[in-house]
Amino acid sequence: MTAGRRDSGEGKGGAAAPVDVVGTPVSRVDALDKVTGAAKYTGDLIVPGMLYGKVLRSPFPHARIICVDASAAERIPGVRAVLTGRDLADLDPYYGHAVRDRPVVAIDRVRFAGEPVAAVAADDEHTAHAALAAIQVEYQELPAVTDLTMALNDGAPRVHEEALRPGFLHSGEFRREEGNICYHYRIARGDAARAMAAADVVVEGDYTFPAVYQYAMEPHTVVAQWSADGLTVWACCQHPYLVRAELAGIFRLPQSAVRVIVPYVGGGFGSKSYTRMEPLTAALARKAGRPIRIANRVDEAMLTTRRHNMRCWLRTGVARDGRVVARECRIWLDTGAYADNGPRVALAAGDAAPGPYRWQAVAVDAWAVYTHMPPAGSYRAFGATHLQWIGESQIDVLAHRLGIDPVECRRRNLLRPGEEVRPGRKPLEADLAADVSKVAAAVGWGTPKPPLVGRGVSIGVMGAGANPASTAAVRMQADGTLVLLASTTEIGQGARTVLAQIAAQELALPLERIRVAGADTHVTPYDRSTGASRSTTVAGLAVQRAAADVREQLLDIASRVWGLPRVALRLHEGAVWHETESRSYADLIATHFGIAGGELIGRGEVAPGRGDGQAAGPVFWEISCGGAEVELDPSTGRIRVRRLASVADVGKAINPQLVEVQDEGACLQGLGNAFFEEMLFDGGQLINGSLLEYRVPTMADLPDEFHSILVGNGVGPGPYGAMGVGEGALAAVPGAIVNALLDLGLQMRDLPLTPERVWRRLREVE
Amino acid sequence: MLRPFEIHEPATVAEASRLLARLGEQAAVYAGGTELLLLMKEGLAHFPHLVNIKTIGGLDAIAFEDGVLRLGAVATHREIETSPAARQHAPLVARVASQVGNLRVRAAGTIGGNLCFAEPHSDPAAVLVAWDATLVLARAGGERCVPAAGFFLGMLQTAREPDEILTAVEVRPLPPGTGAAYHRFALHERPTAAVAAVVTVRDGAVAAARVVVGSVGPVPVRVPEAEDALAGRRPEGEVLRAAAEVAGRRADVLEDMFTSTEYKRHLVSLLAARALHDAVSAARTAH
Repeated sequence: MTAGRRDSGEGKGGAAAPVDVVGTPVSRVDALDKVTGAAKYTGDLIVPGMLYGKVLRSPFPHARIICVDASAAERIPGVRAVLTGRDLADLDPYYGHAVRDRPVVAIDRVRFAGEPVAAVAADDEHTAHAALAAIQVEYQELPAVTDLTMALNDGAPRVHEEALRPGFLHSGEFRREEGNICYHYRIARGDAARAMAAADVVVEGDYTFPAVYQYAMEPHTVVAQWSADGLTVWACCQHPYLVRAELAGIFRLPQSAVRVIVPYVGGGFGSKSYTRMEPLTAALARKAGRPIRIANRVDEAMLTTRRHNMRCWLRTGVARDGRVVARECRIWLDTGAYADNGPRVALAAGDAAPGPYRWQAVAVDAWAVYTHMPPAGSYRAFGATHLQWIGESQIDVLAHRLGIDPVECRRRNLLRPGEEVRPGRKPLEADLAADVSKVAAAVGWGTPKPPLVGRGVSIGVMGAGANPASTAAVRMQADGTLVLLASTTEIGQGARTVLAQIAAQELALPLERIRVAGADTHVTPYDRSTGASRSTTVAGLAVQRAAADVREQLLDIASRVWGLPRVALRLHEGAVWHETESRSYADLIATHFGIAGGELIGRGEVAPGRGDGQAAGPVFWEISCGGAEVELDPSTGRIRVRRLASVADVGKAINPQLVEVQDEGACLQGLGNAFFEEMLFDGGQLINGSLLEYRVPTMADLPDEFHSILVGNGVGPGPYGAMGVGEGALAAVPGAIVNALLDLGLQMRDLPLTPERVWRRLREVE
Repeated sequence: MLRPFEIHEPATVAEASRLLARLGEQAAVYAGGTELLLLMKEGLAHFPHLVNIKTIGGLDAIAFEDGVLRLGAVATHREIETSPAARQHAPLVARVASQVGNLRVRAAGTIGGNLCFAEPHSDPAAVLVAWDATLVLARAGGERCVPAAGFFLGMLQTAREPDEILTAVEVRPLPPGTGAAYHRFALHERPTAAVAAVVTVRDGAVAAARVVVGSVGPVPVRVPEAEDALAGRRPEGEVLRAAAEVAGRRADVLEDMFTSTEYKRHLVSLLAARALHDAVSAARTAH
């Protein structure tokens, strides 16, 4: 998909913008609205006649529902409706983009503690909340499998007895096995057993990764309203078009009868990818005959989706000269009661297991496993965050054992630009050896270290961009301002700013004359999703093409008006110029339409059908490269991060400041995953479901030095050679820290690295 | 979700006390609200009536008079932290105020609210028990004084009667030759373990010592075995180490979901060693 650069090159002969807005750290277009509180989020909306919904959740991880009696709750003044599994009879009540296994509300059984069993609609939240206690549910408790070991045992209770129905996003590789296996992904290249036997040095180990919570500051919030035309949903979702498709499937509606509108989104990090509280809210609104709002609390958000906890066995073999030979890996991911994005997470974890190295042979098995636990799905850099620290720590163990410097060991083995990363997929764009050298230098690699200070690096690549499928439109209004229509959601990442910069660049328009509309499936054109670091690269390319389309129309009009060839014209500051003479865009539009009105419409798309990469992706390989210098307090086991460095290999930074803050945010979440974060359960019950007890990093946890290094080689498939960032650092940080501890002789095989865990490991070593 | 409640704003302690007597279990005293409102939002407690004592004049005063530093009960942690009187006459009390929660909590949370809530991880509680501070409790009929060590009865339980208001905390400057220190270890905003020590050194030997362990048990408590291990001895190396070790071994430690009791005992010993070291150093320079 190199068409983006060709496109931007095309215009340059006649219409190069003399002032570059691309590549500059302009302020966010939504900054003022956000700091003044003018920006509207889903929870700010009041739809006339709106009721408030509250959800009754299962107290048991596994139980048959004998009876739900809501009659007492329905009699409470102010209660307008109670939704239960019985209300779904005329629907297709199971949803899931990967596997259609999750009911809108529990039907005949509950499969995790916290599963919605009923929902109340009332005039206000207090009434709805109070009414929950009046709903009588009779359960028959059933044996539950509340961890991976229990779920994988012979004869374990089955979380899903029935055949699984693939969801609409599943592309022909659905591999279900017996028992509680939801999905199995396998990589087999070469004869790994034989290659391993021939390796000079081999290391192996068992590792664990905990369940963690994405912690978007805004929990899931949805407003749903039915009308004669169909269903309208306002939601803080990442992928409006995928939510639309899923709602249409559940409610047996044509997709065009479902409208999904996305106001500003208060962070997502994957927790708002795919479909969350929308079906339940829409079903309750249907029953009540009134618009409904449901807003999750933090504990409810944690039970709605989370990151997979994982168990992993990994073995690596190398030759005496440090060349990597073979890697074998087995990965078990706890996807909870419903598949959610588990299959894709298993795939990403499996893809991350080999790391970006030149192996003779690789054998990877990754299983997504059903348990009676809350469902697990996407979280920034999924799969890569699970595996990179493990593979990278074995590289360091082997390097130490062979007496080779870990950075040098990587240089000898890293894939080079143009090399194949995975068979049949697109070759590598970035220069990994250069990236790893940059982070190593930033954490003082090779310089003397004080006692109890260790250093480590970590590098990986992850398939990013999801699928190359986006569309965009721009409307050049009669007054020469531009309305930009795209369905990438503004989730805090700065999409509206970056897309505006791209359009401004293509049309030589001042940024303040561009308005970016919020996503609305009735208005803004199709986009696959907001995630996988794809907005700038893929949606940005569609916007670039849409803006270029209008630029061509303006040049055509001006060329006719002046009777001049297009090469004699250029665009500058909202006008077309011929030498010292200019006509504003508004002027040209008025001339074209013959009245003081009209507008020009540009369209752009990214599609495999027009040569934009492979339908299956990845659109590009996102780089995950970090370095850390840590200091250990052996008396408590506490680790202080002295220096943290990350490379954001971005191809071209459209807005360098936004790239940096994305990268820094991902680093901070990486610190959270490495040091603090863990959802704790007791018999399937979440026991730390509040931010008092679930510890996320704060400003006080920032490293002493923090380096975000932007690399822009212009090699990406996006506009101006851009490629996505924002996830990679999260996957890189835990590995860099684990390797820095290894530098101090401490091998850690379980996250998070709590002081107690490190202290215990220290005592074992002593 | 915060359920609706009625807020009362008495002008005097007597009025507040009468309100509390009348409303009984339906009411809670409301000062900074940083603990109370969290509890109510989480649905763990509900009070239809809150009695706001910040409207009572003078209850937030911090003053040093007649040899006593008096901290008004609704003085915020931030006010204590920055108070010149507190800094001069009880520097450790001022310093520990600066460690409570986070800046927002310190700006709103009050010393009285912190103590009366009796959250087991309270930083000021451990220090004030070690310091032997006095708490002044008032009701419509009069007032009484309770030593800090006798105030905390259990997790979230105190000696305050339902119609009593904590009006002030009285802190006397340390006697000559006495030093105080507080060390904490926090994984979350609230400490995992904490130790406060107040040690008097006379003629090169420990004349008096109070060692208080906080955060690991239901209430901050003195560890007499550790204090005995110091009494009359020269406060150096092995003596301090042994006392610290005893503090870890004898402390009343509760399990929680984050850390084992074994690790907490280890932390208590470690923090006790640091606190004793600092308290003794301070004692040697305090005349």
